[in-house]
Amino acid sequence: MAAMSPSERRLQKELMSLMKEPPPGVTVDGDQASQNLTLWTVHMEGVPGTLYEGEKFVLQFKFTNKYPFDSPEVTFIGNNIPIHPHVYSNGHICLSILTDDWSPALSVQSVCLSIVSMLSSCKEKKRPPDNSFYVKTCNKNPKKTKWWYHDDSV
Amino acid sequence: MADDASSSSGCAGNLIDNSINQDELIMKQQREIEKEISETIPLVGELEALSSLEKEYNEDPVYLLKVKDLSSKYKYIRRTRPDGNCFFRAFSYAYLEHLLTDKSEFDKFYEIAKNSKEILVALGFSQFTVEDFYETFMEVVQRVGEQAGGSPDSLESVRAELHDKFNKQGYSDYIVVYLRLVTSGQLQTENDFYQNFIEGPRTVTEFCRQEVEPMYKESDHIHIIALSNALNVGVRVKYMDRGEGSQVSKVIAHDFPEGSKPLVHLLYRPGHYDILYA
Repeated sequence: MAAMSPSERRLQKELMSLMKEPPPGVTVDGDQASQNLTLWTVHMEGVPGTLYEGEKFVLQFKFTNKYPFDSPEVTFIGNNIPIHPHVYSNGHICLSILTDDWSPALSVQSVCLSIVSMLSSCKEKKRPPDNSFYVKTCNKNPKKTKWWYHDDSV
Repeated sequence: MADDASSSSGCAGNLIDNSINQDELIMKQQREIEKEISETIPLVGELEALSSLEKEYNEDPVYLLKVKDLSSKYKYIRRTRPDGNCFFRAFSYAYLEHLLTDKSEFDKFYEIAKNSKEILVALGFSQFTVEDFYETFMEVVQRVGEQAGGSPDSLESVRAELHDKFNKQGYSDYIVVYLRLVTSGQLQTENDFYQNFIEGPRTVTEFCRQEVEPMYKESDHIHIIALSNALNVGVRVKYMDRGEGSQVSKVIAHDFPEGSKPLVHLLYRPGHYDILYA
């Protein structure tokens, strides 16, 4: 087997940890990720007692060979994209740690926890106000969007 | 702290017509500038005579006076890449270089460095992400320790090795990340004190997540105060900016922590830090 690059080593380590001790309601597709370390599928369940109780979501993580210095590209995929003020109907997520505030000390696990917490604190299910315009004009890669973050405590 | 960082990230997509494409163009241009910088300026450069600064300010009498003032105390400068990490890179390079010739300072630092990971994990940083950066950092520190106080010949070769490592992203950026985490750890440990330095409504933890832990975010006084305190290392920063008044020809110095004996000397010009040598 060829020697692993630093980004592969790190991803391998993260995958093992996420498979062994996943946060509640989060499961990674380990077989798929082991075959291709740069593309992960993560299943997420809506937290009981929140607006998303009983719903199931699928997240896709894409990594470059500069991970963890480059943030992962994270989108919701599949039939059920959560209806949330920070989630566009094409699956793009407006979350500062995915771009501006990414740090190499964060991980797939901390991104999952942030997304769970973002969903759980939602008080009203609705799409972002600019959803239709954004979805029509945006780049396929959400990291190419210049996001304007502000704290609206949603 | 590393986990659950969603709370501060509100959202506004992009409401103004055509602004997304405008933004894409701006981001593309930004990436091109970054690429050009990374292709033309090494992470840490070679030692240069201080007079190389004069050439930069040929047409600028105020700055030439300041360079003159600076040259009464310093002979050389070592430039770093202006990528937002320059303070951390300049600081660690200059300090490790100093440790090569100061074994007792090395021993003191080694204890602090060795214990730093536990402090971060206790604060809630996840063990396995911190570990990678800690291990690479300690590998470089230990290599310095093995050679500290050695003969001039062996010092020469270990200096070259250090320089080489600082210009390899796989070492250099790991060191920067680790020092960013140590800085964040210090800010969060002394939370009450540092809150006074943070403008606006952000908490210390939010500030750390947004301005300290991510790469490429520029350093301010608060970063320098925190890191110099965390590692107990004196840093003197010479500020070369367009200050006016009677001090116009002088370059003001500031020591961190206040009253400490500086072992690292840095030159600050707006937005950037380089290393100075006497």
